Amino acid sequence: MTRLRTFPGGAHPDECKELAEKRAVKRIPAPETIRVALCQHLGAPSTPVVKKGDKVTRGQEIGSQNGFISLPTHSPVNGTVAGLEEAPLPHRRSGPVVVINTESEEGGPAFEPWPDFESRTRAELIERIKLAGVCGMGGASFPTYVKLSPPPGKKIDTLLLNGAECEPYLTADHRLMIERTEDVASGMRILARALCVDDPAVGIEDNKPDAIEAFGKAGIRVEVLRVKYPQGAEKQLIKAVTGREVPVGGLPLDIGVVVQNVGTAAAVALAVRDGEPSLRRIVTVSGGGVREPGNFDAAVGTPFSALIAEAGGYGDDVARLLSGGPMMGLAQFTDAVPVTKGTSGIVALTSKEARRLTEGPCIKCARCVDACPMKLVPCLIAVNSEHEKWAAADELGALNCMACGTCSFVCPSDRFLVHYIKRAQDMIRASKRSKEA
Amino acid sequence: MAEARTFQLSMSPHFGSPQSTRRVMYDVVIALLPALAGAVWLFGFGGALLPVLLSVAAAVAAEFVCLRLMGRSTSAALDGSAIVTGILLAYNVPPGVPWWLPVLGSVFAIVVGKQAFGGLGSNLVNPALLGRAFLMASFPVLMTAGWSAPFEWRNPSAGFGTSGMPAAQVSTLPEADAVTGATPLRAWKDSFAMDDHEGAAVRENLSTPGTYMNLLTGRRGGCIGETSIVLLLLGALYLFVRKVLEWRIPLAYLGAVALFGWILGGPGFLEGDALFSVLTGGAVLGGFFMATDMVTSPVTRRGRIIFGIGAGLITIIIRRWGGYPEGCSYSILLMNLATPLIDRFTRPRMLGEVRKHA
Repeated sequence: MTRLRTFPGGAHPDECKELAEKRAVKRIPAPETIRVALCQHLGAPSTPVVKKGDKVTRGQEIGSQNGFISLPTHSPVNGTVAGLEEAPLPHRRSGPVVVINTESEEGGPAFEPWPDFESRTRAELIERIKLAGVCGMGGASFPTYVKLSPPPGKKIDTLLLNGAECEPYLTADHRLMIERTEDVASGMRILARALCVDDPAVGIEDNKPDAIEAFGKAGIRVEVLRVKYPQGAEKQLIKAVTGREVPVGGLPLDIGVVVQNVGTAAAVALAVRDGEPSLRRIVTVSGGGVREPGNFDAAVGTPFSALIAEAGGYGDDVARLLSGGPMMGLAQFTDAVPVTKGTSGIVALTSKEARRLTEGPCIKCARCVDACPMKLVPCLIAVNSEHEKWAAADELGALNCMACGTCSFVCPSDRFLVHYIKRAQDMIRASKRSKEA
Repeated sequence: MAEARTFQLSMSPHFGSPQSTRRVMYDVVIALLPALAGAVWLFGFGGALLPVLLSVAAAVAAEFVCLRLMGRSTSAALDGSAIVTGILLAYNVPPGVPWWLPVLGSVFAIVVGKQAFGGLGSNLVNPALLGRAFLMASFPVLMTAGWSAPFEWRNPSAGFGTSGMPAAQVSTLPEADAVTGATPLRAWKDSFAMDDHEGAAVRENLSTPGTYMNLLTGRRGGCIGETSIVLLLLGALYLFVRKVLEWRIPLAYLGAVALFGWILGGPGFLEGDALFSVLTGGAVLGGFFMATDMVTSPVTRRGRIIFGIGAGLITIIIRRWGGYPEGCSYSILLMNLATPLIDRFTRPRMLGEVRKHA
C-alpha cells in the first residue's frame, strides 16, 4: 500500500460512520409533493420556465440557466406544477422553488446517451455537463461545467476526485464508491477527457478499505489519505496529494488542479454516458436522533421529513437537525426543507451528541492555532471580531477561513470561533464592497 | 407526509471535543501534587502543606468574592484556575513564612492580577507571579531571609552551609561557616563578591555530581514548590501525556537558561554551569508551570519559542547582574508583557501565502 498522505493541522472528531456505513443504498420513490429549488448551486438561481398547472415530464427543464455561474434545473418526476413559491431551503434561508405533484418516475433519457464519449469533443462534453445541471455534490455545489472551463492561459495538469468524506456520520460517498464504482470511474474518464488530463486520481481516507480496493480493481489510481478532519476540504486534499498550496485568495486552477467530488463524477457519467440530467442523489440519514440510519437514493426536492421517515423516524431525543455533517453542516429549523443536489446527509443529533451552546472565556491555550488547517490564528481573529475590529481581523487573514470548524471543535472553552470569524468575514467583505463602490 | 417539526438553530460546528477548560485546570492541579508531596517531605506539614492550603483557600475565596461583587457566575471560582494560582503562589514563597504571607499574596494575585483585568483569560501577566512580585517588593526580608533547610523540621540541628546545601553535605568546604538563609543561587551570586580564589572554590563545590544529585532531589534551600525537581518533572510528564502542555515553551526556556547560564552565568565568558543553572532556583517550576500559563504566553508556535528564549535570557541576566539571586519570576513577568507583541509579529504563514520577505 502506498504511504498515507495528509496535510498539516486538523483534528480527529469521532467518525460515527458505523451507524450507516454498512447500509446499502436504498432507492426511495419520489413522494407525492416535491419542492425543487431553482438555486441548487452557488451563483444565480435559474429562471422558472413553467407555471402552475403545467404538466412536466421527468428530465424536463423547469428552470433555465441564468448567467455564467448558474445552471438549468430539471424536474425529477412526471407530474403537475402545483405552484412556484418562496420556501425555506437547507443551504440558505429561503429561495424560489417549483412545487410539483408527482405522478410517476418513468421515462427514457432526456438527452442522447453517449456511451462512446471518447469520440466526443471536449466542448460537447462540457456543454452536456452544463445542460444536465451537474453541480458539485460534495457540499459547496459549484456548477461543474465552470470548473471544467478554465480561463485561457490556465493549464490544468491534475484531476483529483474527492472521496475523502471526512465529515462524521456521512457515508453517502462511501456507499457510492463501492456500489457504483463504475459510474464514478466513467465520470472520472469523462472529466479527465474534458480537461485533457492524464492519470487522474481519487483520494480516499484509509477508513474505507473496501472503496480503496474497488477502485484499485477498476484500474484507477488511488491516493490513500490518513483519516483526519478536514481531509476532504479542497485545499487540504490538494496539499496532501500534490504538495501544492492553493494561493491565498486563489483557486485550485491557479496551480493547475481541478477537484471534483466522487458524487459529481457519478452525475457526470449519468449525464454524458446515459443522457440523464442530475435528478437524484444519495443522502445519508444518520445520527443518534434517527432510529434506523441508512443511505437513500432520493429525488431532488424530497422533503427531509420523508427521508427521516424512511430512516425509521426520530428517536426520543433530537437536539439538532442538520443538512450535512456535524462539522460544517447547517442547522435546520424545520424538516420541511427539500433535498438539493448538495445534500450529502441529514443528521439528527441527540442533546448528548450536539455541542454545548455555552461558551467560556478564551484561555489562549492555542489549540485552535495548532489545529487550524489554514494556518490561521482563530482565537485572535475571534477576539478582534468580538470587539468589532474588522481591519485587525482582516490583517490576521480572516477571509481565508473556510469555516471547517476544527478550531471550535478543539476549543476547551466551547467558543463560537466559526461564528465570530464568519461575522468578521461578512463585515470585511461589506467594507471592501463599499470602498469599491 | 409527516407534520413538519421544528428545531433549534445554532452555528456550526455541531460537534465538540470532550475537552473543557475545567479539565485543563484540574489536570494542572494534579500535575502540581507530586511536588507538594515532595515539599511536605522536605519542609514538613507546617512549612509546606499549611501555606499551600491557606493560599489555595484564599485564592478561591478572593475569586468568589470578586465574581459575586461583579455579578458574575460564582461557579467559576471552582473552575480550577484559582486553585492553580493559589498553589503556584505558595510554591513561590519560602517554607516557614508567617501564615498570612501566602494568603495576602494569593488575594493580591487574584484581585489585582486577574479579576481587575476581567477574570480568566483577560489578565496580562501570570497572577501568581504578580502576587510573588508584590510580596517580594513589600516584604523583602520575609521573602529572602530565613530559609529553612530540608529536613530541618524533623532534625532542628540541620543547618545551612555556605553553599545553600545542608551543612552535612558541604562539610568538605574549607570554611563551612553556618550561614543560614542561603540558597544555592545566593551562594553562587555571593561567590562573585569574594576574592577570586575563594569564589572559585565555592563555585567549584557547587558544580559537582553530588550537588547535582542534591538539586534533583530537592536537598537544598529554596521556595516551597521549586526544589523537588524530579517530582516537578513527573507532573510535567503527566501534562505532556494529557496534551495540556506543549513542548515549545519549556524546552526553549530551559534550553535558554542552560545555554545562557553557560555563556553568561559564570565569572567570565563561557565559564558558567549549564546544568547548575537549570537545576537551581525556580527554573524547572517556572519553565513547566508558569511560563507555560496559557493565558499569558504567546499562541503562535514561533512566538512560544521566542517567549521561552527571552525569558531564559532575562533569567540569567538577573541572576548574574541583577539585584536578586533568582530572576525566573521577573523574566516571565516581563515576557508576559511582551506576549501580545510577539503574537502580532509571529503570525504563521497561512496555507498558500507567499511572503514578500522571509
